Amino acid sequence: MLNKALIENVLSAALTTGGDFSEVFVENRFTNNMHYQGGKLEKSLAGRDFGVGIRIFKGLQSVYAYTNDYSEEGLLKAAKTAAEALQGVKSEKEIILPLDKQSIETAHPIQLMPSGVEKNRKLAVLRNASDIVTNYDPAISQAIVRLNDEEQNVLIANSEGTFVEDKRVRSRMAIIAVASDGTDMQTGVYGPGAYQGFEFIEGLDLNHYAKEAARIAVTMLHADPAPSGKFPVIIDNEFGGVIFHEACGHGLEAEAVAKNNSVFAGKIGEKVASDLVTYIDDGTIPNEWGSINIDDEGEKARKNTLIENGILKGYMIDKFNGRRMEADSTGSGRRESYKFAPTSRMTNTYIAQGKSTPEEIIANTEHGIYAKYMGGGSVNPATGDYNFAVNEAYIVKDGKIDKPIRGATLVGNGAKTIQKVDMVGNNLAHGAGMCGASSGSIPVNVGQPMLRVSEITVGGREAN
Amino acid sequence: MDLATFQKRLFTEGEKLGFTDLELYYEKQESFSVQIFKGEIDGYESSTVNGVSVRGLYDGQMGYAYTEKLDGESVSFLLKSIQENAPLIEEEPEELFTGEGATYQETDFYSPKLDEVTAEEKIAFLKEVEKKIYAYDPRVFQTDYAAIQDQSIEKGLFNNKGLTLNDRNNFLYAIFSVVVKEGEEIKSDFYFKITKDFASLDAEKIAKEAVEKSLSHLGEEAYPNQTYPVILKNTAAAALVATFASSFSAEAVQKGQSRLKGKLDEKIASAQVSLLDNPFLPEGTHSGNFDSEGVPTSELNLVKNGELKSYLHNLKTAKKDGVSSTGHGYKSSYKETIGVSASNLYVVPAEKAYEALYGNLQEGIIITDLAGLHSGADAISGDFSLAANGFYVKNGKIIGPTTLMTVAGNFFEVLQDVEEVGADLEFSPMSGSGYIGSPSLKLKSLAVTFD
Repeated sequence: MLNKALIENVLSAALTTGGDFSEVFVENRFTNNMHYQGGKLEKSLAGRDFGVGIRIFKGLQSVYAYTNDYSEEGLLKAAKTAAEALQGVKSEKEIILPLDKQSIETAHPIQLMPSGVEKNRKLAVLRNASDIVTNYDPAISQAIVRLNDEEQNVLIANSEGTFVEDKRVRSRMAIIAVASDGTDMQTGVYGPGAYQGFEFIEGLDLNHYAKEAARIAVTMLHADPAPSGKFPVIIDNEFGGVIFHEACGHGLEAEAVAKNNSVFAGKIGEKVASDLVTYIDDGTIPNEWGSINIDDEGEKARKNTLIENGILKGYMIDKFNGRRMEADSTGSGRRESYKFAPTSRMTNTYIAQGKSTPEEIIANTEHGIYAKYMGGGSVNPATGDYNFAVNEAYIVKDGKIDKPIRGATLVGNGAKTIQKVDMVGNNLAHGAGMCGASSGSIPVNVGQPMLRVSEITVGGREAN
Repeated sequence: MDLATFQKRLFTEGEKLGFTDLELYYEKQESFSVQIFKGEIDGYESSTVNGVSVRGLYDGQMGYAYTEKLDGESVSFLLKSIQENAPLIEEEPEELFTGEGATYQETDFYSPKLDEVTAEEKIAFLKEVEKKIYAYDPRVFQTDYAAIQDQSIEKGLFNNKGLTLNDRNNFLYAIFSVVVKEGEEIKSDFYFKITKDFASLDAEKIAKEAVEKSLSHLGEEAYPNQTYPVILKNTAAAALVATFASSFSAEAVQKGQSRLKGKLDEKIASAQVSLLDNPFLPEGTHSGNFDSEGVPTSELNLVKNGELKSYLHNLKTAKKDGVSSTGHGYKSSYKETIGVSASNLYVVPAEKAYEALYGNLQEGIIITDLAGLHSGADAISGDFSLAANGFYVKNGKIIGPTTLMTVAGNFFEVLQDVEEVGADLEFSPMSGSGYIGSPSLKLKSLAVTFD
């Protein structure tokens, strides 16, 4: 993507003001984005993203510059401008990269490169998903189906001799069902994704995913407003894991920990969660949406145990925050694109398998809320306060799932909630999502088995 | 290769392949940001990025593609992608705006003076504010974020029918987020400002405001869960309006995704509420003389004294409704296709000061900020259930901060429930669907739950 001599020149130019580490990240990405709505293809957009990010460290200072002026002058100018920020002692270092790039054996084989697949073949899948949604129920007023795929080619080189290339291929489909009774509208969403090519899209069980999206929309159309107050809350498996992604995952990232901006900072070896909780971030799971071969700093992906049986074991660490923490990278340096300096981020994060069956968890709950499908949410990492929307929820009464409720929001504090997990199920599953933070929006999986939290504040429209 | 060469080559090769209409949209963005943590530079970033997108009519259908690399390979990639995509689109093809008979305002939204502020000046300013923040109160634990970012954007639109348009804008924003701690209680809040005038930033004032806002959340208490009269503070109100602004888009209306469908000239809000879209706001981040289709922009009253006066239109939605485009055909970047979006949209301020809005409340809640807007709100139905911070008011006085709340309601009911509008117009730092502002609003009631 850029020749070796030029990269060496840029890495060297970046260190002329006393920097002690320089890095070049080159990205050449091809994307496809199809949008099918109201029974027709509304949009089909192809794009090419290309640019270079240059990063320099000097002790605990970090500087980043990016550009898509890929000429030698353009790149050297960007490197020098960035270096000037450090205003250190002038020095000359010549960076020599290894002769050959480090080779990567992919852990995530691809069968059908998205760029090689006819658009008509993609359109057929979109149409099929849309038809399943539309035919599900007369209350369905609209089906929206989107397909995104991309091939991201990256080259990462640094002054410590890293010189590596990788290709990431991802495909995702979003199925959105809108149900309406004339005045009121409700939506149901399902968005499966994988580190795979078109084989993933064509292999999707649309009868499951499309019908679920439609079923959620129709069910919520007939749901009562959620009650408000404190309740035991049962959170279902798969995308339910988003709550711990926000409530705990972000607080376990080095970016928050290094600056003491996390409730989990300085607590390694301490009990921070219920004994039932083991929390893992694993970038190595083959072909999962949040998986990687190497992170965006060129470090190999790995499986990091964050919390084991309630005891805090480790954090997710990138190179820069690792300096402040005096800790090594855990293969967690990620970024959306060359437009972002990498920082510590999650990959596939999940609560490990427990022992209870889902039936036991529900049967043991006298009066509570069952959150079947979670929506999105956010957290303030400094305080740990989070909020979440529940896309599909039910009242649990006398150990049985009762009527559906809508408009439920869960609020609370992550550090407290994770201590209140009192049952963990045995049906671990993962769900795909996009996670936004300072280094941009990146693909991550969240996951968990069904579990119960003894008490969460639920905010609905029905004031108690 | 440079833009002019790229354009020429693209149009020539495109016409050779049989493209009838071709349009090139260009954006160049330069940005600089610096962040301070405990007196040290903690983040420093500079960038120059450009990108182009192409729309082309091929075989009577419109296709799109974009690239960030201006080279020969991209010319072929763009044309080939459009040839592949165009025949699949089952939509009525968009028409390119020829610009014939159109007159454009020629406001320059670019401030050369802002461009002259050096990195050193910005760093010195950040350090000064940070120092004052720590000195202001012993309960200041640390700054979570102390940063300045500036951005300049150049836009160009060219087509093979002779249209050539250029626009530029620049602005700077400052953000200081402060974490305060008393005993076990940790709270944070922030100061945020967008400006073109660096000299107008006052270190003393910013430090005071950032720390006092954060401190004001200490000593939280829960109150009975019930419905209360509510004051939505300006930035919270702006964030709420921003979340539901898409309801005013004719695209959403035509697709049946807006509750405002069929409501033109009807009362959709209390008589206190007027909503104005102003593309010429000097400090607006979305100011410009033309939209992404090349249509001239103009001021637009969306809601006047509670009555819905217009939707936001681009060329395609306007054609469908038999009206003229209102100049709101926007793409959020060259990577996107044309949609509909507000420019600088705000609730028109009235006369009352914020303090006077709660001064006559017997009992009520002030909401200072809302969280979870991207997940806890349904843009179509208007339903929301959001996390909120704020204060409890009794007999016209702020008693103290509340515990984390959830507030639930419906945006369209909120519009009807506005009893009074303040004078304190502010814009939401939330970006995306335009640059959106509001003064503080007094609402009849909202359901509030305390953690």
